Amino acid sequence: MDNVKRRHHLIVRITHWVNAIALLVMIGSGLRIFNAYPAFARRGETFCCYPFAGHKIPAWLTFGGWLAGARAWHFAMMWVLVINGLVYLGFVYLHGEWRDLVPRRGIVRDALDMVKFYVAARRDHPRQGKHNALQRLTYFSLPFIAVASVLSGLAIWKPVQLAPLTWLLGGFVWARYWHFLAMTTLVAVSFVHVFMVFAVDPYSLRAMVTGRYDEAKSPERRNARPFVNLRAPAPPPPAPPSPPESKGAP
Amino acid sequence: MSRRLWLPRRHIAEKLGIDRREFLALGSGALMSIAAGGCDWKGPPGSGRALRAAERWNERVERALYRHRAMNTAPAGARAAGVDFPAYFISPEVPEWDEDARGTWRLEVDGLVTRPLRLTLDELTALPRTELRLEHFCVEGWSAVAVRAGVRVSDLARLAGLSPGAHYVDFQSFDDGYHESWDLDSALHPQTLIVYGQDGKLLSPEFGAPARVFSPVKLGYKSTKYLTRVTFLAERNGGYWSDQGYEWYAGT
Repeated sequence: MDNVKRRHHLIVRITHWVNAIALLVMIGSGLRIFNAYPAFARRGETFCCYPFAGHKIPAWLTFGGWLAGARAWHFAMMWVLVINGLVYLGFVYLHGEWRDLVPRRGIVRDALDMVKFYVAARRDHPRQGKHNALQRLTYFSLPFIAVASVLSGLAIWKPVQLAPLTWLLGGFVWARYWHFLAMTTLVAVSFVHVFMVFAVDPYSLRAMVTGRYDEAKSPERRNARPFVNLRAPAPPPPAPPSPPESKGAP
Repeated sequence: MSRRLWLPRRHIAEKLGIDRREFLALGSGALMSIAAGGCDWKGPPGSGRALRAAERWNERVERALYRHRAMNTAPAGARAAGVDFPAYFISPEVPEWDEDARGTWRLEVDGLVTRPLRLTLDELTALPRTELRLEHFCVEGWSAVAVRAGVRVSDLARLAGLSPGAHYVDFQSFDDGYHESWDLDSALHPQTLIVYGQDGKLLSPEFGAPARVFSPVKLGYKSTKYLTRVTFLAERNGGYWSDQGYEWYAGT
């Protein structure tokens, strides 16, 4: 019996890992750019909503070495990130994978069931298809966060040539803030994502590399919540050989 | 079947032929170097060429995005930065024009023009005046609002008789050789000014007196302070920060 199925198309796998690297470079270089003025207030004003103004991001979390280097990386890698994202979205749309990602009827109830299961307020893993309800909501919302990052980024990059966009976002100062918040959201989602891979479904790591996934080891089959039932259930012992029936050949 | 998920069946250290203690020391050292040296990192060797190619590509995109009619208007509720406006110069002290040593300050407009100009401050302020409340966008990420009074570079260019061969402008200063060259389009933008007044007063020395370039269509470092010379050119001529690796075009 073979439960191993192809789960991720090659294009999904390539765009996933290109995205991972490009996003890391964008975040690191973005933080290095931010460190040149680690605040949001316009000069001569105060800003309501950032309590850490004036505190730099630790240098080891940044990328690019200096402001000009970080800017060069940021404005080069942005193309990789955007083109890669468009390839992913186009593929998912044309190839039908979007069906596994759009919210279904009852998604909120299903998501609450997942939360109950994760906090051990529910014994059995809710039924799911390729992704559980929390994953579907997260993966579905990612393109919207991506669009928010790109639009707020454009508004900072071209506050005069794209002045109407910058104005829509509340001006240059707020556009910078939305860009920062979008980044923070992506960082938070990525941390939870990587945590869940290792704490709940390490077998999905193989699926994102080779494309192949053993359905017998899915979190639903293992009834896995973080750090519980991490290992796949042992395969059933082979049936004891039946005693040879002594039926003499006629 | 992977019985132990978190460790390969044979310990990596055994494969490498070192003992566990060495393995842990080496491993933590490697992790530390990723954390310390690996980050705040300029990128892999050879990436410089790719980054320069990306900058050239970005300049084409930025030039395609550029519109003369795109204007900056400082947000209505924004407060003028006033004394909180950072004062930058590269000389060790505030550069001041020394009349005794250098004679009267004059702004030279030359290069590919038919009528080169040498304007005193009085002659400059006598030209058609443009006063605008504008945002300043710094490469560092901050912005500031000030009222700028001066003469449009496009008016100066008309006065000097711009030659058709001119595609670039170099703005030079008496601040230790600071200069930045621009594409002609951005220099002729209606909001690109030779500024001699700020917030209703004459420009003070820390903000670039007697005159400076200012435009919202470029990042702050492109706007040369302590201006002495506006030279129209056929080719670009780099700039103080552009030559050190900052983006040359730097449009906003």
